[in-house]
Amino acid sequence: MSEFIDYFIQNFSIILGLFVEHVQLTIMAILISIVIGVPLGILITYFKPSKKPVMAIANLIQAIPSMALLGFMIPLLGIGTKPAIVMVILYSLLPIIKNTVAGLDSINQETLEAAKGIGLTRLQVLYKVQIPLAAPVIMAGVRISAVSSVGLMTLAAFIGAGGLGYLVYAGIRTTNTDQILAGAIPACILALLIDYIFSILERLVTPKSFQLTKPRSQFKNIMDKVIIILTCVGLAGSFVYTNMGNKTGTKKIKIGSMDFSEQETLNYMLKYLIEGNSDIEVEQALSLGSSSIVLDAIRGGDIDMYIDYTGTIYGSILGLEPNSDVDEVYRTVKKEFKSQYQLTVLDSLGFNNTYTLAMDKNTAKKYNIETISDLCKVSQQLNFSPTLTFMERKDCWLGLQKAYPIQFNKIVPIDGSPRYTALDSHECDVIDAYSTDGLLKKFDLKVLKDDQSFFLPYHAIPVTNERIQDEYPEIIPIINQLQNYLNEEVMVELNYKVDELKMKSMDVAKDFLIENNLIQQ
Amino acid sequence: MIEFQHVYKSFKDKHVLEDISLTINDGEFICIIGPSGCGKTTALKMINRLIKPTSGKIIVNGQDISLENEIELRRNIGYVIQQTGLFPHMTVRENIELIPKLKNKKDKHLLQKVKDVMNMVGLDVDEFLDKYPIQMSGGQQQRVGVARAFASEPDIILMDEPFSALDPITRNQLQDELLSLQNNIQKTIVFVTHDMAEAIKLSDCICIMNDGKIQQFDTPEQILKNPANDFVLNFVGKKRIWDSPELIKAKDIMIDEPIVCPYSLKCIKALNIMFNYRVDSLMVVDKKHTFMGIIDAAQAANDANKGKRVDEVMKTNCITVQPDDSIVDVLNIARENDKYTIPVVDDQKLVGLITKSTLVTTLSKKYDESEGE
Repeated sequence: MSEFIDYFIQNFSIILGLFVEHVQLTIMAILISIVIGVPLGILITYFKPSKKPVMAIANLIQAIPSMALLGFMIPLLGIGTKPAIVMVILYSLLPIIKNTVAGLDSINQETLEAAKGIGLTRLQVLYKVQIPLAAPVIMAGVRISAVSSVGLMTLAAFIGAGGLGYLVYAGIRTTNTDQILAGAIPACILALLIDYIFSILERLVTPKSFQLTKPRSQFKNIMDKVIIILTCVGLAGSFVYTNMGNKTGTKKIKIGSMDFSEQETLNYMLKYLIEGNSDIEVEQALSLGSSSIVLDAIRGGDIDMYIDYTGTIYGSILGLEPNSDVDEVYRTVKKEFKSQYQLTVLDSLGFNNTYTLAMDKNTAKKYNIETISDLCKVSQQLNFSPTLTFMERKDCWLGLQKAYPIQFNKIVPIDGSPRYTALDSHECDVIDAYSTDGLLKKFDLKVLKDDQSFFLPYHAIPVTNERIQDEYPEIIPIINQLQNYLNEEVMVELNYKVDELKMKSMDVAKDFLIENNLIQQ
Repeated sequence: MIEFQHVYKSFKDKHVLEDISLTINDGEFICIIGPSGCGKTTALKMINRLIKPTSGKIIVNGQDISLENEIELRRNIGYVIQQTGLFPHMTVRENIELIPKLKNKKDKHLLQKVKDVMNMVGLDVDEFLDKYPIQMSGGQQQRVGVARAFASEPDIILMDEPFSALDPITRNQLQDELLSLQNNIQKTIVFVTHDMAEAIKLSDCICIMNDGKIQQFDTPEQILKNPANDFVLNFVGKKRIWDSPELIKAKDIMIDEPIVCPYSLKCIKALNIMFNYRVDSLMVVDKKHTFMGIIDAAQAANDANKGKRVDEVMKTNCITVQPDDSIVDVLNIARENDKYTIPVVDDQKLVGLITKSTLVTTLSKKYDESEGE
């Protein structure tokens, strides 16, 4: 617990920033879904035939898994806040539409006929009678949506929209419980806070005549209004502040990264290196997700640069057969990216983060395993827990089976760092790993030698769009300095600091650059 | 004036109204009555265009309403329904001033107008102005409904069973107040009810409907006394008239041609007439049938009187009643004077006679027929 408090205090400004970001995203999504949902609910009560299809669609959207919905959004809306907000809006619509319809339907028909009969126009009936009477029910729907939006919005982190989800997923990735809690606890508090605020709103929109049975003191009523006004002022202030921050600086590029520590550290490294050696400001889009999402982002213009790995592009994006010739892979990738996507691949950063197999040192010793070929001799007695991606790729498991006579007793795929934990607790014996993974050092694992040179080379390469080439070519030599300082061992060390020692990736990156005199203190 | 001209209404294949023609004059209080589903509410709602006729025309103040702006039309016609017609989220004041405010936003006298109509329907302004309907009794809510209808100063007020959900005492009270209100302000009121007593009590004319057709449109008196057909008879109820005995007039129950004798007749001859007609008294009249007095058998048979003329011995200070006096009046007069032979005189002419036996016969009908039902 005290560790968590320390973590929380140390990272307070980051957590606060993400919290504010989370609030803004959530509120934006709720406001838009009210603006869409309430009129839609009203419309379908006027045009009865449209009720069934609209409700069916809203129900259907609700049934789509949120990650899948987010996935559908990326090709349409790119990455960042837009798809995250749209996803949350889509999920919020159902309770709002449903309650709007229920609220309107619950109004006594005779009251409506009286309203019509004494000479109110349709619109006047709507805003003088129907909406005030349905408001409490509508607001209850909005409240449900608002609270669930807080939770849903944590997914936004997957596509680089930030928010508290960033801490949760970063924490899961690096098995950092404190970080998970630093995201989850504020998210829970936010959900409760939003529930509270909306309970006040619900009370404020409920006609006085419906509240006569439970009278409230004048003071409490005034407090309600004060809280709502303060909340609105606070929100407005935070939006203004955020937008002001965005407008400063004219020379600006945006660098994206995938969702693991090494990418984040490299992202910070590029940011400090460029900012320390030029007048360009670097904006970050961290944790966008897998390689293909980040590629979508750079092609869609959401970001200007990111770091990919030659083997990833060669194998999964270009779809070429596995090839262990380092130079040929690099040349092909550079050529194809230029011709297919108008993206420029810079020189390698100097390390190869390839796939490898790793196991407990004691187990390796017991069976006397040094290479993958050694492993094949005993693999039938061992359990394998690779990532899902590893299982599916032909440059990984599918190819590995052809290159080596390998067969396991049992294969249980586990995603992310939990497979290290599984290995540590002997639930499995062999896992796939990246050759620069800090967890290799943390868990003190034996990395097996790829004696048949099966795995593709995964050299880290900065990928830039045309904007960098045209407007900021000066940053290319700046970045190229890095290759003199980075290699697999350095990278494992840096990753270890982040993943195991729980240092902030921004500090690790900055310290590294300062140690090597790449930037001034 | 409201005129229905051959109005038909069908929903899908069902005829709700068939050939309704009806004229309601200014200042008249009309009740439309009939069993549920007879089309009475449909007819009412056509006047403010909540329902549109399938064919036929409705003319209000000389204008075909289908050519008028329906919002304008409705704002100039008061509309009262059961208390659910009030807006529960608005105070009494907000309910009442809603339409006047929409008609004229800058009316400085609006609050005064609200207070006026509240006073008019007997609602305490200080107590109820800022109350919500839910804080009031059913009767009070209904008063607000009536006040709201009057607030926009309409010439026509439509009322759709406004009192049907109230308890009998409150209902009676509101009916009385509505009647006295109507006596003062003389609006044209169309009132839908299923309660015959209410219709008889309130209206100048009653329109009885069944199966979408008008069965009879007449004064309460005519409907009670001369039902146009069996439906009206059964609907009104044969003994219904006893709910309003003031509608039974002397002329309805009197003997139309009482046995008379000229004033110059000799008593002995008069006695002879009595004997022939088996009556114990005669009405004495002149040639113009002017009522002069009554001679009874005892007087005529008196030996001292036998040779005298009737006008010398007859009683002249007789109690008489008018043809339009009700049975209630007749009974009161009879009881007060202890006389049960009462001539009915119109403009000094003898037009009929009420005797003990006519009263007994009439009163006994109330019980005979009620047994038959």
